[in-house]
Amino acid sequence: MTRDDRSNDGSSNDGSSSDDPPRETVSIPNEVELPRLLDFYDLQDAEHTGIHEFYGNLRDGELTTTRCDDCGAVHFPPRIVCPECLSDDLSYTSLPHEGTLHSFTEVRGTAAIGMTDDTPFVAGVVDLGDVRLSARIDDASYEDLEIGDPVRLKIVDIDGPTDQDRVFYRFVPV
Amino acid sequence: MSGNAAIVGGGLTEWGEREATWKDLAQEAGKATFDDVDGIDRSDVEGLFVGAVQPERFAFQSHVAPLVAELLGIDAEMISRTELACASGQAALRYAWLAIAAGQIDVALVIGVEKMNLGKEYMPEMQSTMTNVLDREFDGVNGLNGPSHFAQFAQRHMHEHGTTREQLAMVSAKNKTHAAATDFAQYRDAVDVDDVLESYPIAPPLNLLDCSGITDGAAGVLLVSEEKAREVTDTPAYITGSGQSCLSSNSINNLPSMTTWPQAREASEKAYDQAGIEDPLAEIDVAEVHDCFSISEVIEYEQLGFAAEGEGGAFIEEGRSELDGDVAVNPRGGLLGCGHPLGATGVCQALEIHRQFTGDVPAERAVAGDPETGLIHNLSGSGSVHSVMTLGRDPQ
Ligand SMILES: [Zn+2]
Repeated sequence: MTRDDRSNDGSSNDGSSSDDPPRETVSIPNEVELPRLLDFYDLQDAEHTGIHEFYGNLRDGELTTTRCDDCGAVHFPPRIVCPECLSDDLSYTSLPHEGTLHSFTEVRGTAAIGMTDDTPFVAGVVDLGDVRLSARIDDASYEDLEIGDPVRLKIVDIDGPTDQDRVFYRFVPV
Repeated sequence: MSGNAAIVGGGLTEWGEREATWKDLAQEAGKATFDDVDGIDRSDVEGLFVGAVQPERFAFQSHVAPLVAELLGIDAEMISRTELACASGQAALRYAWLAIAAGQIDVALVIGVEKMNLGKEYMPEMQSTMTNVLDREFDGVNGLNGPSHFAQFAQRHMHEHGTTREQLAMVSAKNKTHAAATDFAQYRDAVDVDDVLESYPIAPPLNLLDCSGITDGAAGVLLVSEEKAREVTDTPAYITGSGQSCLSSNSINNLPSMTTWPQAREASEKAYDQAGIEDPLAEIDVAEVHDCFSISEVIEYEQLGFAAEGEGGAFIEEGRSELDGDVAVNPRGGLLGCGHPLGATGVCQALEIHRQFTGDVPAERAVAGDPETGLIHNLSGSGSVHSVMTLGRDPQ
């Protein structure tokens, strides 16, 4: 029996029977504010990450990563502990700003939250010698590119929902 | 205590875009599993292992193992959820196997559940969830997730080995055609090579039909000790070997290669060694491998020891992975045909091997001859971890 059936079953003159449960509308917010988690870029300052120097160097125009002072291993992504020897004696070392395209694709229909307005865009893997990293390749489409193409660093300033001056690296064809 | 463990049956939900909650799916698969097996009751179950990848984000629910115990009325003395991205289901099975092999329990329910569809308008949220199985800070941020990550393996494999676009399409056509005869599959339309080639290039060189689905679904199996298995069935599927490998690598820079998966080679060699398999191509009759994308299956032929490195494309083109080929690969239709409800996939693969052993499959996709030896393979996330399990009609 639905609630409408009950109110029309003649058991109550005013349409509400005394054994009906009490009922009211409660409101929940139309929007909820979530922590800043979904824009993919980490907070980059010393208060939030142990690899703030990586981001600071990038903000100053240089792509760097950590190198272990004890065993000499070069890491990427940068670390605070060497995965080869567990030393925490690490220094930042420069990476080349030019490399070659190791592989690539174009993101068309499967972008994540916050990236859908950018599609289509090229996502690639760039070989920098000691390090091979993934990166967006700007100023190019899939059809323009071939494996082995030279690419060079581009730095993007992130204009987003924090007061921080966040940055990230991309590459462009030479 | 023999140490051996066998699958004695299992069950599934229908897979696809389901009008059902995570909890609905768990109940459907649980009921189907117990309905399938005579002689094992819920009161016999000592261990409950739940494969689930991201219920926190897809279904806003964590701590799901006791939820399943409650929903199915199971008093478990060993209970856990496993999360290993796309290999979570096989991980759950592996831990149940280890618990039985160690003599701690005799009967385990292994169940994988994933609710992934949130409605088409929330596709970017779904893609974000998949993106976060990669290193979000350094790879996800660059637009990598399933299709755009594996497309770059395809690009590179084609470049290094001359693998063709048509060969990739043959994998999809084979598996999706198998799925047309699989009653729970998400995609039940037979597909030919041209259909794949003409589908939308969603992350070139991969097209839409080179990709597995976004799938709601669940699958369960009962894994029991040899003694218990002999009580309840004449056709158990014993786990004869199990290997895993992760080479301290997850992000792009640290993956060993973008054309090979040495982790799959290591995991399979470990499983083959345990199972006494010396020539996998000759000895394995049916393989359920992780075809999250068409290129994945091509690389897996090479890394699982079915084809030489670089010759995975020729392997599909020569028909060697067809139902009547050297090794029948993905007879239920794989992830490409059945869809890929992450935590459920590995469990479903193992159930398929059991069903191929018992003959409980439609004739259109029954593996030729009476298969005696099966394999399941899963990779997870960026391809960082590979898991391989071998199954046989007889205990090891
Ligand atoms: Zn070191």
